[in-house]
Amino acid sequence: MTASAIEVAPEVASPLITEVMERSGQNLLACYQCRRCAGACSVGDETGFFTPDRLIRSILIGDRQTALNNELIWKCVSCYTCGIRCPNGIQTGRITETLKKMAKEAHQTSPHPRVVHFHDAFVGSGVRWGRVNETELMAVYEMKNTAADIKKMDFAAVVAEVTRQLKLAMAMFRLGRMHFGFLSAKGRGEIKRLRKKAKTTTH
Amino acid sequence: MELAYYPGCSLKQSSALYDHQTRLVFDRLGVQLKEIEDWNCCGATSAGKTDDFLAMAMPARNLGIAARSGLAEMVIPCSACYSRTLVAQHYLEAHPNLKDQINAGFAKPVNGPVKISSILEVLLSLHDSGTLAGTLAYRPKALKPVCYYGCMLTRFPFSVPVPDDIENPLGMERILEALGIHPIDWNCKTSCCGASAAVTDPAVAHALMAKILSDALARNANCLVTTCPMCQMNLDAYQDAVCQAHNISERLPVFFITEVVGMAMGLDTKQLEIEKHFINGTDLFKELEPYESEQ
Repeated sequence: MTASAIEVAPEVASPLITEVMERSGQNLLACYQCRRCAGACSVGDETGFFTPDRLIRSILIGDRQTALNNELIWKCVSCYTCGIRCPNGIQTGRITETLKKMAKEAHQTSPHPRVVHFHDAFVGSGVRWGRVNETELMAVYEMKNTAADIKKMDFAAVVAEVTRQLKLAMAMFRLGRMHFGFLSAKGRGEIKRLRKKAKTTTH
Repeated sequence: MELAYYPGCSLKQSSALYDHQTRLVFDRLGVQLKEIEDWNCCGATSAGKTDDFLAMAMPARNLGIAARSGLAEMVIPCSACYSRTLVAQHYLEAHPNLKDQINAGFAKPVNGPVKISSILEVLLSLHDSGTLAGTLAYRPKALKPVCYYGCMLTRFPFSVPVPDDIENPLGMERILEALGIHPIDWNCKTSCCGASAAVTDPAVAHALMAKILSDALARNANCLVTTCPMCQMNLDAYQDAVCQAHNISERLPVFFITEVVGMAMGLDTKQLEIEKHFINGTDLFKELEPYESEQ
């Protein structure tokens, strides 16, 4: 008996496809696997050949586990090249962005926690003060990294990361590219209140 | 001419030199930049990756402030800010319910068509009107640049009108040709530098930047010219690390378009803060000859 190459799970596939299509705004059903996106992908060499076409196929066959757990959604740099090459106008960069959020909601831990830490720290800083303060952003980001590395008892990683960032900070300081003032927007409360309201109405 | 101006967070901090140069260059061009008041962070790609609502609400507040300023056009030099703001403007027009929901929370709601322009679009219109040529004094004759656009000037996560060719943009080349500089054609003008991966995943970002630098070197370019502060910072600050990891011995200065235009206008490297680059490029501006218009 031969095992089938692809297992299709329609009962899982249907709600998964609908959710990803609605949230990403992309028509996944138009994909006919021509793989132009694969050839275009900036990080295609880095994802174990898990390219945008593979990601779309995993969603279409209802493989939720793979869709939320793969290198591409965390290594995607949102360069959007796949989207301009797609003959059917599917912007897979929007799909990886959607799946990052779905993975978080499903409490999946990312194999690349630094990516999560950076974007959370960035948006956190932008919302907290209305403007991103680069030194605060990097401090919060590195605190998140350090906490995660210490939890794994990986002290070498902590030292390597801190050394790398200090080297950059010192070079920036020497060139006068380090900023010591503090940026904020007075009207930042408008966005905080809107976000709070949006959260309470959708959940 | 008066333009609304959105600098964004980066131009107020690590890329303050770009803000400074932009103001100097536009002043010479007779353009008054009116920084919109109390602007906030656009959310950059991070908001798009973590929170769909914020990805629209953050740039929307700035669109509302720009609309209230009464100016018809807003220039945004940072490519990320430009992309997020332009996308939010078109997305909200296509999704009126979301627009109403967001507008309900703003003292200055999004209304009216403010034209969102990149710095390149504004420079090109000043070139087409003949204004740019009238400000030129010198030709920096040693420059053999490649024009680096990166991702965000031509590729967007939502359908918006793109002002240049998506695969082979030529706007920056047109500006440099107008200065009497001859940019070199190459393969990587719209390649990705890795953006935040330079911080979160250096090996990936370094591989992407090595491809860009290698292609520029293979074409005998002696510098890169860009409009994006993220690309500039990545290719400049990490260039030593990239080149060491990928066995590249040469180094290439990475200029903002404003410093090349500024030098051609007769401003000097000190005024333009060109010495604030990690890879020093001031030597390339030592050879200046009087500008002669090629009729």
